[in-house]
Amino acid sequence: MANKSTKPAKAAPADGGKTPKKYVSPKISIETVEADASRADLIFDGLDHSGASYEARVFLNNEKATADTETTPERGYAGSFHIFGHGGCYGDDITHCQIRGPRRPYDPRPGHPLTPARKVLIATDALKQARATGGDVTVTIVPVVYDPSPKADYSDILKLESISVASYG
Amino acid sequence: MENNPAELEALRVAYGKMQALNDNRGWIYWAGYHGFPQFLCWHHGRVGRGSQMPYNLFLPWHRAYLLYWEHTARDQDSKMVLPWWDWTSRGSHTIGIPKSFAVKTVGGKRNPLVSGPRPTMPGVPAGQTTRAPGPPADLPTAAEVSALILLRNFLDLDTQLEDVHDNVHGWCGGDMGAVARAAFDPIFWSHHCMIDRIWYLWQLKNGIDNIPDDYKDKVLFPWDMKVRDVLDINRLGYEYAHGSSTLVIKT
Repeated sequence: MANKSTKPAKAAPADGGKTPKKYVSPKISIETVEADASRADLIFDGLDHSGASYEARVFLNNEKATADTETTPERGYAGSFHIFGHGGCYGDDITHCQIRGPRRPYDPRPGHPLTPARKVLIATDALKQARATGGDVTVTIVPVVYDPSPKADYSDILKLESISVASYG
Repeated sequence: MENNPAELEALRVAYGKMQALNDNRGWIYWAGYHGFPQFLCWHHGRVGRGSQMPYNLFLPWHRAYLLYWEHTARDQDSKMVLPWWDWTSRGSHTIGIPKSFAVKTVGGKRNPLVSGPRPTMPGVPAGQTTRAPGPPADLPTAAEVSALILLRNFLDLDTQLEDVHDNVHGWCGGDMGAVARAAFDPIFWSHHCMIDRIWYLWQLKNGIDNIPDDYKDKVLFPWDMKVRDVLDINRLGYEYAHGSSTLVIKT
């Protein structure tokens, strides 16, 4: 069972300087996460990976989390996912990195390399713990860029289309 | 590999010769299939032939790529064997990048494992690859790999293993941190060899043929192989044994 927040990603205010903007979700229902669930996932769809590589630290019910926040259950840390980024555009012009429109019939070529990504974070303990105290959560995603690519701006690196919660009996 | 001087030297010789070649036997030609200029690697899933839904050939595509790469390198030194970089090891969690890939010179000559040539790209002049590794303790752990092996579904493994893979690329930094440039770094190949090894260890536990049926006939462009052709590494002529011995019997 998956609960999906369909609102588009809206970045929270920047922390200043070149610190990548984080994302704070609206409340997402986690009522389907049972206490005896064998597994519960946070699923992030439509992730852009055209820029630098980064770690995305995921916190539940901690809207104030930053890159300096301890990655502990007490701080709501649910785990991280990682993006191996393209590193910016290496084409002759910017259209090189624009994803082509709908696939033409009979086109045998592989799809565009920058097709948005899906990441699945197995966060069973964190979601169960959050469920024990309420029926919904906010999800805060803090991108941490370790080594900026010379060709990619990373201040607004985190772009995604939806967050889902899936639990399994 | 670190404790086998002969294998290490064969790797250096093969990579050194490839890096000196500018034709279709050379480093830039073969590394160029992954990112710049050909961008044929599979990462993060795409909508591809025969499907309107994204799917991901990350593991089988890179297995085929490693196979072609190793044969190309062995053309330069027949004793060359592609080593895996076990970034879960105590050594890696102490010093990070293995010494054999980190020392700048060997015997007074440039170490071809420390960096590789990359071509001129739009906005980036030609040069040698560089790294900016993170703290060694931040590399993935053996416990994380053990958890991957326990997964039962191939697509689940693919998603989770690719994330660990992504983590190590970002940890290495520099050219390794960008899809477009990563394959020009010599450690790229040993990182992917480790990823391939983990897939193999998973296959040993969950079945060599454990992959959705609709994946098996997907083409691993530009390699002359389909997914079904790369499932069994024994049929590809390599293995991931820590060691082996042979008793030669002449009767």
